[in-house]
Amino acid sequence: MQLELPDRDYMFPGHVACPGCGAAVAMRFLLKALGEKTVMVIPACCWSIIAGAYPQSTLKIPVLHTAFETGGAVASGVRAALDMRGDTQTTVVAWAGDGGTFDIGFQALSGAVERNEDFIYVCYDNEAYMNTGIQRSSSTPYGAWTTTTPGRDWKKMRKKNIVEALVAHRIPYAATASIAYPEDLFRKVAKAKAIKGARFLHIFASCPTGWRIPSEISVKIARMAVQTNIFPLYEVEDGLRYTINFFPKGYLVKEYFRLQGRFKHLSEQDLDQIQTMVEEDWKLLRHKAGMS
Amino acid sequence: MKRVLEGSHSVAEAVRLAKVEVISAYPITPQTHIVERLSDFCADGSLSARYLRVESEHSALAALIGASSAGARSFTATSSQGLALMHELLHWASGARLPIVLAEVNRALAPGWNIWADQTDSLSQRDTGWIQLYCETGQEVLDTTLQAFRLAEHVSLPAMVVLDAFFLSHTYEPVDVPGQREVDRFLPAFNPRFRLNTETPCAFNQLAPPDVYMEMRRSIQDAMEEALAGFSQMEEEFSGIFGRRYGAVEPVECEDAEIILVTSGTITSTSRQLVKELRSRGERVGILKIKLFRPFPAEIIRQCLKKARKVAIIDRNCSFGAGGIFAQEVKAALCDLAERPVVFSFIAGLGGRDVTVADLENIYTQVRNQEVPQRESIWAGLHPVPAPELNR
Amino acid sequence: MKNSTPPFVAHSFRTTEGNKTGSWRFLRPRYDEKTAPCAAACPAGEDIARIEMLTSQGLFKEAWETILMENPLPAVCGRVCLRPCESRCNRREFDEAIAIRAIERFLADTASRDELKPSLERFASRKQRIAVVGAGPSGLAAAFFLSRLGYGCDLFESAPEPGGVLRYGIPSYRLPAAILAAEIEQVAGSGFRLYCEKPVTKALFEQIGNDYDAVFLGCGRSRSVGLLIEGEEPGEVEDGFEFLRRINRGESPAFSNAQVAIIGGGNTAVDAARTVLRLGGKPVLIYRRRREDMPAFEEEISMALEEGVRLLELWTPLRMERKEGRYLLTLQQMRAFDTAPGQKSRVEPAEPRSTMELSVIHILKAVGLEAAEEWQNPPENSEKILRLSDSVLVRSPSIVIHGGDLASRIRSVSHAVASGKEAAIALDILFQKGPDEVLPGLESCRVGNGPALSLEMYMRGPRCARNPHVVVFDEINRDHFQFAARLVQPRLLAEERSRGFAEIDLRISAGLAMKEAERCFNCGLCNQCDNCRLYCPDLAVVRQTDSSARSIDYDYCKGCGICVVECPRNAMSLEKESAPRAQR
Repeated sequence: MQLELPDRDYMFPGHVACPGCGAAVAMRFLLKALGEKTVMVIPACCWSIIAGAYPQSTLKIPVLHTAFETGGAVASGVRAALDMRGDTQTTVVAWAGDGGTFDIGFQALSGAVERNEDFIYVCYDNEAYMNTGIQRSSSTPYGAWTTTTPGRDWKKMRKKNIVEALVAHRIPYAATASIAYPEDLFRKVAKAKAIKGARFLHIFASCPTGWRIPSEISVKIARMAVQTNIFPLYEVEDGLRYTINFFPKGYLVKEYFRLQGRFKHLSEQDLDQIQTMVEEDWKLLRHKAGMS
Repeated sequence: MKRVLEGSHSVAEAVRLAKVEVISAYPITPQTHIVERLSDFCADGSLSARYLRVESEHSALAALIGASSAGARSFTATSSQGLALMHELLHWASGARLPIVLAEVNRALAPGWNIWADQTDSLSQRDTGWIQLYCETGQEVLDTTLQAFRLAEHVSLPAMVVLDAFFLSHTYEPVDVPGQREVDRFLPAFNPRFRLNTETPCAFNQLAPPDVYMEMRRSIQDAMEEALAGFSQMEEEFSGIFGRRYGAVEPVECEDAEIILVTSGTITSTSRQLVKELRSRGERVGILKIKLFRPFPAEIIRQCLKKARKVAIIDRNCSFGAGGIFAQEVKAALCDLAERPVVFSFIAGLGGRDVTVADLENIYTQVRNQEVPQRESIWAGLHPVPAPELNR
Repeated sequence: MKNSTPPFVAHSFRTTEGNKTGSWRFLRPRYDEKTAPCAAACPAGEDIARIEMLTSQGLFKEAWETILMENPLPAVCGRVCLRPCESRCNRREFDEAIAIRAIERFLADTASRDELKPSLERFASRKQRIAVVGAGPSGLAAAFFLSRLGYGCDLFESAPEPGGVLRYGIPSYRLPAAILAAEIEQVAGSGFRLYCEKPVTKALFEQIGNDYDAVFLGCGRSRSVGLLIEGEEPGEVEDGFEFLRRINRGESPAFSNAQVAIIGGGNTAVDAARTVLRLGGKPVLIYRRRREDMPAFEEEISMALEEGVRLLELWTPLRMERKEGRYLLTLQQMRAFDTAPGQKSRVEPAEPRSTMELSVIHILKAVGLEAAEEWQNPPENSEKILRLSDSVLVRSPSIVIHGGDLASRIRSVSHAVASGKEAAIALDILFQKGPDEVLPGLESCRVGNGPALSLEMYMRGPRCARNPHVVVFDEINRDHFQFAARLVQPRLLAEERSRGFAEIDLRISAGLAMKEAERCFNCGLCNQCDNCRLYCPDLAVVRQTDSSARSIDYDYCKGCGICVVECPRNAMSLEKESAPRAQR
């Protein structure tokens, strides 16, 4: 069965993402759904490199590379300028990694969402500063090894719940999506595109290099994150109406963790604790979706 | 039309006349009157611009980087801490060759908290690739703001219009506000060479490896040099329409002067009064007002100063460990002359301390009476430091 | 103001296509179609995964032709095949097997309704002429495949109509005569000549052995194996197969609500019992082992019971007596032992001994058949004999191949087709390349790990490119499939069934067939699902514009392998990059 997805790509081959890069898959899907009338702002992230060095660009849409913490603000400015020129058809997208979203860019994002700026902010989340060599971010999950949480100092804090933070802004539309669920992702991008105001998409994008996984399971691992409820697929409208898009059959997290080198140090007890955390989060989400 | 305007409002009037399309700003004293007045203009429809009330100065400039890249004439205003916060993006704006105009109200940097006039904030940004234009009067503020857009867009570099806190920003003066038609003649709509658009999609500001980065930086330097030449051409056009000109530098009574005071900003006005008095007493004294700091008009300065015996540079700023910043630049400009005047460097009026005619006369007297300066830089009008009274 | 110099800024004017990122690759994905377990299990070697794929796409003619490539009798096999394919279907481990047989029947019926003519590849004419004896499934298949391989064929049948066991041994509620006739007509279109009412005696056999370059002997087994019931007199107990033949020829004996005993547990026994029921009798099916040991199809047994057939399992006839125009049958109870799951149990008389008596008006036995005449059996091993999977090739004094039920491992319609095909290919190799090439030649067209042969592969069709590896369930990426219930075969109700000989299984709609075919994993086969292209981070999977085929652009493929893992059906492989990479 073939998925009903637009055929056209807005990317060229020859980009310099690592083999199996989930962020490259995410970009492909996003642009398929958005089409050519799109302007993209890319603050510092893996994609600053992937997109190509001067004089190349791997994307068929206009791209503005910007400073790390500026995604929300630069996109606001691009939107303002396009509006002033009477171009309300073009979609403005900020495309940032988790560092540029959860951490350094959070202020600009929060400001833009509070102002309800009319653009889509997409965070492709690979759960650490991968471009600089796998340092922990506030998106790095509990239990993960990174080069700044090495050895027994593995990260002992939870991953920041970015969607909930934006929902607290009463953002018109916020959704999670995964490269392993392209139809869901497409539907959400199309939905976001049709909404006016601030929109946020949180796309789970695996990183074989940083997660210490074989590149061929890159999409599979992203799917497992959904299947285990580690990364639930859901959307929130106007900061109020929650819809859970996927209900996994069972949710044993261990299998997901065991496949990844970044978690190899975790003990059975650690994994049990993580299972409890995941179940808590899922319960809370169901509660918000009115399902208790 | 002559109107009595606060310095800040002169900036705002110029921004309105320049038909700026995107404004993005964050409040900081003493810049706030500019953006408040612009808010009024946007609210009452006299200016049709998108006004982004962003959450920080950093985002203010970031938003304009986006707006200008997408082809909008863009403006912001800030001061001191705000400018310092923008620092990263000042480099970005010039590196991306975006002709953003920023009104910078000179204010001292904390700590301790100080909202008063001091040039260290803007001069700390001298290496960021921005054109810097220092103003003396309300009229000059308005005119320079218009000029800044013209010059910036001509050479694809951002420009900073600099005015002293309170002495200029909050002072009311009669100002000739030009008509829109004249301004439109001087400043046509912004038409950038490149802009983000979906018809000819391309990427901007991407990775620039060592094989191209240096040439890109050289291009900025070349543009700065073109801005220097372009400044006088631009002023030619400006004066043809408005009948006013300021010059990159303004020599006052320098032709036969033995001692020349080098000034910038509102200290120039005070100096003008002193020179008038001293001349009436037969002293051969002049002033060289520096308006254009970046690009630095070294050759013109050399020509103006080379015949003087002594030069006294008055800096309302300090580069700690080196001294007055204007002084360093002027000294560097003069060092190529075989015969050059003796240069005295004075630091005065930091953190908004008044620099009165008497203070300046005191400086003049020191210079006249000494053959060579006693120190690298002389701090004028220092108070004794109080002994601490400790609470036990 | 003078014009200013254009700024030199970082802005793009080129794509990244100049970066041949394929040079990074140390693993190499490639399309590597493999063998589906159903196809490997099908005696006829049908390309089932492809048939399901074409059906799901609504390409019914192409699907039907894909069957005909390997099996000339889809309308028959779509009704009566014992479905080894479905029992090996990987989908069984996921939810339920695909209803492969129902789809095959749908395709054949649709082709017949639309009067389609297949366009099948055939070889150029050969000079050799071949006689085929017996127009049952193996003879029809042999004639069909030989014709396609370019041989002139004459087919001799002793009965007035062709079909053999299909015509006379299977009741019409399972295989209507009209369907069979239409299918045989369609098979005959392949070009052989059919002579009915032409029994081949031993003398005639020897004559045609001289007249033709080879003879295929597919006259089946029709002589009843004697049943040793104490008190039985010759002619009293009718053979089940004879009984069915009688009914299929148009006889209609009335049983007037009286009991009829049928001894045996195979399909013939069950068919005979259900026929008795339809003729107004009360059939009692007697089987010496357990119900689960019965060789008849489970579905047929349960339908028979639904209709009212009485089953006595673990009973065996001890003796029979005549009493008031009826027979009194004494049965002895048996006990099963060695009852390993999936294996036929062994039985012995139960202790303490227990018997029962049964009064019947007629006794049928269906416990096995043998060749009508001894010369029809393949000779014992000798130098000039080649025992193949489903046939025996004899090269002296003349070239004869014993096929069908005379030589097959398993006596079923699909094995008969397999036998005819094997014989046709073996003869072609023998004629074209010589006797030493027969075995290696057959080996080269085995489906998967064998024993089924593929004519398409023999004719060097695209199927040759398939990897013989048979895809197992764990190689299916189940993330791309959702649970879906198997097609429920629409049927006449039990009371409607027992009233007559109308076909029990009803036709299914095209929509149902497509929906069912869509459930198929298409194990090992690219069905253009596009996952490889969709998930490729490097846009290195290219779809040809003129066809729907995909290829990998090794200029850009970094060898991440996502395509291989995300292929739902194991139609790709990931290997170490062996060839030295191009220097760039």
